[in-house]
Amino acid sequence: MADQTNETKKKPAGLSLDGWAVTVALVLTALVRLGVLKHVSW
Amino acid sequence: MASSTAVLRAEPIQFPRKIIALLPGVALLTVVGLAGKVLEKSIGTYTKAHHIVFPNIEYVLWAIVVGLLISNTVGVPAWFKPGVATYEFWLKTGIVLLGARFLLGDVLKLGSVSLVLVLIELTLSIAFMTLLGRIFKLSPKLTSLLAVGSSICGVSAIIATKGAIDADDEDASFAIAAILALGALALFTFPPIGHWLGMNDHMYGLWAGTGVDNTAEAVAAGALYSDAAAKIAVLAKTTRNAMIGFVVLGYALYWAAREGRQAVGNKAAFLWQKFPKFVLGFLLISLLASLSVFNKDQIGSLANLSRWAFLLTFAGVGLRINFKEMKKQGLRPFIVGALGEIVIAAITLGLVLGASKLVKL
Repeated sequence: MADQTNETKKKPAGLSLDGWAVTVALVLTALVRLGVLKHVSW
Repeated sequence: MASSTAVLRAEPIQFPRKIIALLPGVALLTVVGLAGKVLEKSIGTYTKAHHIVFPNIEYVLWAIVVGLLISNTVGVPAWFKPGVATYEFWLKTGIVLLGARFLLGDVLKLGSVSLVLVLIELTLSIAFMTLLGRIFKLSPKLTSLLAVGSSICGVSAIIATKGAIDADDEDASFAIAAILALGALALFTFPPIGHWLGMNDHMYGLWAGTGVDNTAEAVAAGALYSDAAAKIAVLAKTTRNAMIGFVVLGYALYWAAREGRQAVGNKAAFLWQKFPKFVLGFLLISLLASLSVFNKDQIGSLANLSRWAFLLTFAGVGLRINFKEMKKQGLRPFIVGALGEIVIAAITLGLVLGASKLVKL
């Protein structure tokens, strides 16, 4: 794990958890804004 | 810790297979979350119809309790675990969506109050936890992990620091177990104390956001009080999470100097790497809401989507608490964590009560 202190460690390809969360939230927001998702109830 | 190290390994992503593996656990989160909603509604209807005086227990607590019962009786089978672990994804998605309910001006105003409180809390918590670790003769790295976990944001901070200071898996497991157990305890103690002190939603939300360690538990502790308190708790906790990079960098530099290792090269890149990017998503949605991109109906829909995401998160909080596993980690780190948490809760409570005298909360 020592090599993590410098930035040489290769990160896995693809989005991080935060990246996925933001992407999904933005897609949902776009669907609501465009009227595809309407009146989401609770 | 196996799961956290597995995440760090570079493996080819087998997308469809990965998604399919998540489905059973996500379904379990949904069922447990819905059970919480059904229990709240049916118990409320029953007690009202039979004129029974019974406190209204929110779906949040029911979902956690149902999850906790499953986890500690029949257990969570291995094939549910990958999906159950997505609770953190739902938490972050829910926080980003919650941005629609904040105008950027409110974020800046409340965020700056939170930031001042968070900076004081961080300094005092790290100093106190370090002192406690020395008194109880815990290993210095375990002490560092507990200090970071209790002062910033629980499990993610511990995992980030573990890599940066080259700590053992065992120390990280100890620290994570203590932080999770204490987070669960906060769910049952913070709301009654808040009610007892007659705190308003803003004050309580700030306290939950600055005093409860793990983000999921902080949001749950807020939601157990009120919807408005949950909103403020999310903002305060997000401010706290944004500090993660600075604290982890500080510890990385300290341990590198102490062990004579090569220090962090590019500090700006390190800070960016550790910065929780979902905060940017939250700010973006909040900016769009401030620019009136959404109408009232759409803001309502986004808020409800955020609630659904949090419902899955709360179910996951209960499902991952396993008392038997926690017992295995031993008592000393737990005692240090518990003592630290009590003091941190008292400090943050004092800070919030003090701030409420200076600014209108």
